[in-house]
Amino acid sequence: MHPLAWFAWLGTASLVTLLTRNPLYLVVLFVIFILVMDVERASQRAAADSSGYDSAPSDRGLPLSPLRFALFAVPAGAVFNLLTSHVGETVFFRLPAAIPLIGGALTAEALLYGAISGLVLVTLFTAFAVLNLALPVRDLIAYIPRAFYPVAIVSAIAVTFVPNTLRQFRQVREAQAIRGYKMHGWRDWLPLFLPVLVGGLERALQLAEAMTARGFGGGARTHLAPVARISLVAGLAGVLGAGVAQLTPTWASAAPAFLIAGALLMGAAIWHAGRGVQHTRYRRPVWHSMDTFVVVACGIAVVPFLIWAESRAYSPYPALAWPLFDLRLGGGLLGLMAPAFARRFSEQSDDHI
Amino acid sequence: MITFDHVSFSYPEVALPALHKVTLTLVESTFTLISGPSGAGKTTLLRCLNGLVPHFSGGVLTGRIRVGDLDPVALGPEVMCRHVGFVFQDPETQFVMDYVEDELAFALENAAMSRAEMRSRVGEVIELLDLGPLRHRSLATLSGGEKQRIAIAAALAFRPRVLVLDEPTSQLDPRSAREVLEALGRLNRDLGLTVILAEHRLERVLPFADRLVYLPAAEAPVVDGVPDEVLGQIDLVPPVTTLGKALGWSPLPVTVAEGRRFCEGMSVQGAEGPKPLPESARAEIRRKALGPQRGSQSPAGAPRQGRGRSDEAGPTLVAEGLSVAYDGKPVLTDVSLSLYPGQVTALLGRNGAGKSTLLKALVGLVPHQDGSVWLSGRETSGMAVADVCREVAYLPQDPNALLFAETVLEELHITLRNHGVTVAEVEPAPEALLETLGLLHKVTAYPRDLSVGERQRAALAAILVTQPSTVLLDEPTRGLDYDAKDRLLALMHRWRVEQRAVLLVTHDVELVAEAADRVVILDGGGIAAEGSPAELLGAPVFGDSEAANPFMPQMARLFPGSGWLTVADVLSGLRSSPVLSPPSPNPGGGES
Repeated sequence: MHPLAWFAWLGTASLVTLLTRNPLYLVVLFVIFILVMDVERASQRAAADSSGYDSAPSDRGLPLSPLRFALFAVPAGAVFNLLTSHVGETVFFRLPAAIPLIGGALTAEALLYGAISGLVLVTLFTAFAVLNLALPVRDLIAYIPRAFYPVAIVSAIAVTFVPNTLRQFRQVREAQAIRGYKMHGWRDWLPLFLPVLVGGLERALQLAEAMTARGFGGGARTHLAPVARISLVAGLAGVLGAGVAQLTPTWASAAPAFLIAGALLMGAAIWHAGRGVQHTRYRRPVWHSMDTFVVVACGIAVVPFLIWAESRAYSPYPALAWPLFDLRLGGGLLGLMAPAFARRFSEQSDDHI
Repeated sequence: MITFDHVSFSYPEVALPALHKVTLTLVESTFTLISGPSGAGKTTLLRCLNGLVPHFSGGVLTGRIRVGDLDPVALGPEVMCRHVGFVFQDPETQFVMDYVEDELAFALENAAMSRAEMRSRVGEVIELLDLGPLRHRSLATLSGGEKQRIAIAAALAFRPRVLVLDEPTSQLDPRSAREVLEALGRLNRDLGLTVILAEHRLERVLPFADRLVYLPAAEAPVVDGVPDEVLGQIDLVPPVTTLGKALGWSPLPVTVAEGRRFCEGMSVQGAEGPKPLPESARAEIRRKALGPQRGSQSPAGAPRQGRGRSDEAGPTLVAEGLSVAYDGKPVLTDVSLSLYPGQVTALLGRNGAGKSTLLKALVGLVPHQDGSVWLSGRETSGMAVADVCREVAYLPQDPNALLFAETVLEELHITLRNHGVTVAEVEPAPEALLETLGLLHKVTAYPRDLSVGERQRAALAAILVTQPSTVLLDEPTRGLDYDAKDRLLALMHRWRVEQRAVLLVTHDVELVAEAADRVVILDGGGIAAEGSPAELLGAPVFGDSEAANPFMPQMARLFPGSGWLTVADVLSGLRSSPVLSPPSPNPGGGES
């Protein structure tokens, strides 16, 4: 799949997730993302297996599986909101109002709202996890503005460092066990951090040296031209000005103009700075009909959410109510399965070749 | 021509110079091997060639360096990378991208090369190093040898005239190392590429090198020349050269092939030691375990402990039908192994054969799906790793992971505290243990500041302080120079005398020849063969040709079927064999 098709998918997935608080749609989204992820992972594993080398399971694994994250985030969100938000009609019991923050009515509505917030977070996390799994580092870097190229490389390395660091963490934990160290509580984990940190710094230095030896950083310009600097500062001022204008009744109407002007100036500065970065791309991704299919399917998923706003909305406040499930919206969400179909289809056509 | 003219260099905040007035000329289009003890400045010397020293390292450099007519100090690595390609020791830490082709193009993209030019150059290096089948693979799925070939290809993408490699094979098994070195030899021969390579294991690289530079540890002058001349002047040399020196061969043989010319007229019939095994016997070895029946002598001259004697004491650690799987993929299948007191068992096998997994399974770091592990007659299932490790010292591949205290002595105290043992309870005391490991002068040193060999011994001290009955070592000679290796060998002899059971995982067949009483070969997660070193290393077990046994040390390849594995074996064998007359030097071959 073309990286831009993936970005379109991620954009749609995040937008839809953020547009609704209806737990039924959120659960559907979560399940769809998990399925897409599974198909992606299975096909990557099959590719690794067919390469004939017995490799360890995917090296770009996540530090946390979405399901495990859900087990933590949903209850945590629910409990936090239960204790801090005291709105709602279905009262479990009341804590003395004298207790700061948590004092007051503990309601079923607050509990549910917190759980939904946790679910939104988990669903977003899963969508990003899918992208992280599906796109190679080169594609993540390729679409970051050129001015940020060195930063992009560093972030890409940071992404690939996560599994390395986890592996190292495991190594140090094993090493500690070898030396008779038994872990009972969270305090016992503290002695593990120093070796991981020191080891991480050592590896970072080795990588930096290897990159220097291959000419990285040689052509990058570190100073912005004066015009670009002025434009960047003016742009920032414009964006801040928009914020201030919003607060003053006489200027409030001009706020959008400030915002747009500021954004344009900053964009221009970044574009100008990007011209100074000497860098070319080895690959030019090819747009297939499957990519069009994915983008169209994303449109099918998002458009109903934009049109029938009242069907997507849900709030447990003031009193608990059963959320509605509109088939036009729920059915449209299936469009987000498109990458899984695209992957299966391309595998089948590969088989025929 | 590459010249160093009175080059001295000191790292920041280090009193002793890393290089001291080095004067040296390296000829273009040659394959130069740089050797010398740890800390002699090999790594620093290599990094001067592309300007990483002093540009990346900082520090003070004096003297004059020229690569052709270029000055790396003035130009820096950004410019020099187009003329000098650099490959590092650990293939893992030098990759930025996650796919082979992207990694090869990374440096070219940074140099803003046109897409057409990039395509042609990437295609060129893929062709040169025969990487076609790997082109679209993810780097994470490659073996160590393949990764190192990718690193070489990536360094060649700029079409440099010089390729510099810092211990590129130290992490590889013998077969992968040979693949990498053969590729380098081809590049040198076919393209006239200047190859400059630092390595401790001379015997690996010498067959490919036509120049040898020896950097001594002290401020002594650099020795430089054709390999046999240089080897004649230094002490730490490969076994075949040591034998050549002992027998007065001239010119000194550098490789086994050169050594063979002196042996052609020699008959080893009547020499002691097992004869080559017939196929039926080899099949028998593969089927069942054999005790060591070797009649050879250890270098110290003391006969090695046989298993017969150890049998009486009973094994300290036993694995029975052990099977381990990761993610449903079997890594070890039905492995049974016993370790006896006073016996050194060597575990050999290719990268990925399951050797490290076996060690981890023995101490319980990796759960086993089937089978059992017994420690001193007690099954270890349900025991914490920490409790197993009080009796079993396990040194992992990277000893750095074990070190985290402020001082070397503190490392030992931490282990004791973890096990709930007071210093007064242990015998010998921590200081005495450090003395036997040659670290007494380093008790207050910060462990991570030590040399590779010292760090390894500090890690060993940290796990040996509880006086364990069994020692498991995972590739302990990685990155060690000959001197550090000799110290390790002496330690293993001491452990044998102290009646400890030792399991040694290594790719270093010369070390196995010197140290082991018994050899186990692991292949594809199962035990492929088990027997005495003479049986498994002395003859081609896995086929009829010598090439079919990658585990033969130099002496076994020089005298196939004699049962001799070390220089000491050969010398004592030659002395005790009346039919042998001292061979006359016959480099032309075929006359004596």
